[in-house]
Amino acid sequence: MNKFMSKLQDIVPIIAFVVVLLFFTVKSDGRMLSAFNISLLIEQSIIIVLIGCGMLFVVAQGSIDLSVGVNLAFSGVISMWASEQLESPYLMIPIAIIVGLLVGILNGVIVAKLKVPSFMLTLAMLIGLRGIVHKIQFKINVSYLSPDLYWLNKPVFEDVERLQFLTYKMIVFIVILAIMYYVFEFTRVGRNSQAIGENEIVAKYVGIRVDIMKIAAFGLSGMMSGCAALFSILNVGGTSQTMGSFTEMKVAMAIFLGGVLVTGGVTARMYKVILGSFTITIIVNGLALISLSQTEVSQSVEGVLLLLILFATIIANQRNARRITPLDDDPEENALTGSAEGNGAVVKV
Amino acid sequence: MSEYNNLLEIRGLYKSFGSTKANINVDFTLKPGEIRGLIGENGSGKSTLLSQLAGIYGHDAGEMFVKGEPYRPESPLDANRAGIAMVMQELGVIEKLPIAINMFLGRLDKFTTAGVINRKMLRDSANAVLTKWELPGFGKNAMPSGAIEHNKIIELARALSVEPDILLLDEITQSLSLNNRTKLYKIMNRFKAMGKSVIVITHDIEEMIAITDSITVLRDGEVVGDVLTAETTAEKVRYMMVGREISGDYYRADRAPDYRDEVVVTAEHLTIPGEVEDLSFEVHRGEILGFCGLSDSGIHSVGKAVYGLSKLKGGSVRLTAKDITVKNGAVALKHHMAYVPKDRDNEALMLHARIIDNATLPSLGILRSALDFLSPRKLKKLSNEMIAKLTVKTTGYAQNIDALSGGNKQKINLGRWLAKDLDVLILDCPTRGVDVGVKAYIYQLMKEAKEQGIAMILISDELTEVIGMADNLIVMKDGRPVRSITRGDSFTEQSVIEVMI
Repeated sequence: MNKFMSKLQDIVPIIAFVVVLLFFTVKSDGRMLSAFNISLLIEQSIIIVLIGCGMLFVVAQGSIDLSVGVNLAFSGVISMWASEQLESPYLMIPIAIIVGLLVGILNGVIVAKLKVPSFMLTLAMLIGLRGIVHKIQFKINVSYLSPDLYWLNKPVFEDVERLQFLTYKMIVFIVILAIMYYVFEFTRVGRNSQAIGENEIVAKYVGIRVDIMKIAAFGLSGMMSGCAALFSILNVGGTSQTMGSFTEMKVAMAIFLGGVLVTGGVTARMYKVILGSFTITIIVNGLALISLSQTEVSQSVEGVLLLLILFATIIANQRNARRITPLDDDPEENALTGSAEGNGAVVKV
Repeated sequence: MSEYNNLLEIRGLYKSFGSTKANINVDFTLKPGEIRGLIGENGSGKSTLLSQLAGIYGHDAGEMFVKGEPYRPESPLDANRAGIAMVMQELGVIEKLPIAINMFLGRLDKFTTAGVINRKMLRDSANAVLTKWELPGFGKNAMPSGAIEHNKIIELARALSVEPDILLLDEITQSLSLNNRTKLYKIMNRFKAMGKSVIVITHDIEEMIAITDSITVLRDGEVVGDVLTAETTAEKVRYMMVGREISGDYYRADRAPDYRDEVVVTAEHLTIPGEVEDLSFEVHRGEILGFCGLSDSGIHSVGKAVYGLSKLKGGSVRLTAKDITVKNGAVALKHHMAYVPKDRDNEALMLHARIIDNATLPSLGILRSALDFLSPRKLKKLSNEMIAKLTVKTTGYAQNIDALSGGNKQKINLGRWLAKDLDVLILDCPTRGVDVGVKAYIYQLMKEAKEQGIAMILISDELTEVIGMADNLIVMKDGRPVRSITRGDSFTEQSVIEVMI
């Protein structure tokens, strides 16, 4: 029973993914799974996955980073502008990453040291930074991706029909994803972030540097926004005033759809981000495929679907949460875990 | 009202949760003016029994009579009306509401006119209850401080405000320090004098024998026996609880200090405003340094300060041999120190996480290999070893930690530190909320740690524990050390209590 419930919590997001995929596959007469559409799906979800696996560190700690979208635009326009000024297209890459990182670190320092709730701080960032983005974008007016970087959009194996989607940037994406996966799942940074989300006092009392971990998490989140800015420019071919708008909402939604709780902690897992990102991309893409996207209903349908899935996820989690408030002396817990209590075997003084 | 001999009578009570039988054919009678102890290992059905009396759970079968009248409460308020009030084991105070409202929660109607609460009347009534029972008063609109002890007193006051005939206390003494325990004992005696009764659950057998008239022992949901306190001993009760002899020494057997000369930790002039004033001490290799004092003595701040978690206004904590100042918890963690805080569920364990997450948390820095890689295999191995070594009752390392009983949680909480190579171990009330079996085991672990040469700081509200285990002890009062006593002939409760108060 216990096992089943805790599994259910993890399974609901997977079921949601499968249901959404099946629904749109049937509705679109299979066009959903055509080779072309799959590569489109992957391309569309790259940005959400990238930012999501940075933001996951923040969410794991029980915070949120709403500045990722504007950070994407900010690091995007600055790197574009700087590389044009310096006439060095390749400089765009480190500049975007560093600018993103710095914005993230600034967030982290304010949250960790000045104890400003992350929600409010990053909301202020979201509004404030957008103004600067407008200003810079106005200054650089029309900007295009330097042709020197076009090769990143090209397939690695140009002759192989079925591997067209495997572009150089896709390889970069996979490498970044693997690194982030490793850092979150297999290093102390990820573990400690989960611990902070579970209970900050516990983390502090064990000896984790909570403030440094927070700065690191926001730094990673910002850095991934910078990376995502580059991918966004590669996809679109330039910058714009509206780039990154609503991205923070999509990413946050993807993380929660994947089954991560708002409170973070051990529910934060990297695979959930990837899963949730694809679910949300499939919904958007699927609605377009069955040509609902042109109508007024599309966004509402999107919203309702998201709501339904989140609802199911939360119900599954709540059941689980209700189970785990036993009285210390309450044998109910043992009924569920199947362990007879009494510590009979303990005393061997 | 009908004639009655027994204030409370329970006949053939059954209660089960799913397939687990929590109470089996429980018969129980309580006379007016009786103080009854209820004892049994974790999971023996004590809290379940009281919860049914207090109207939290319904019973499956059987009958209850209060003052001769059939009694079947639908809710805690129902129970209150019948003159039964309970102080729960788990905390039940809403910290965002003023103390007075907390005390009368659910019974605010009589203070309400046209939907508006008469705050003055509420406050006066609350203070009247506190004054009546000689509990500490509070200021206007005072909020709960969040400290466990303070919350417990609010809950106690809430129960007393019902003017109950039967007061149910579920493991509350262990959250109180000595001065407040004494107050509670006084309250219980006044109940007795008024012909009212108290049922009290505690894991501390010595305490139970000191304060009760009779004791009911439960094992696996069944009543093993009722005994008159005057006719029994701690050993007999322990035997009834476990069903076999607990042999060997509970505490240390030796009566002299026994540790090496090498100083491990030096604390100099520790000062934390409002908590600790100018405290200096040394802990040697293999020494257990005890701290005791009343609730506001600052003993619990000492553990935090030594582990580098407090902002010090003055003074320092140094690891003597390495000449390292413990500036923060990270330094402490890195240099083989360990801290087991008092509030296990809120300060030590990640309740919603699995055993493996909790068990490996302090060891992550050691388990990592190149590139900070934490091998899942190593984490699992450590958890499994810990579960096996400490005989933790669990379905496996992937089980959520809050599915474990208090004793088993505490085993993980302590054991995860002992799995490391330690120099310093700070224990703040390590046996809070665990039954005799686990308690004995924890003392055993401490003795082993002592032999390995770990320097230990033992902070405890239970005097017998500190006296039973420590080589030296420091008695604190109002944040200042008032006396330091070395293990020997003067190492008695009396000599400590004299300076404590």
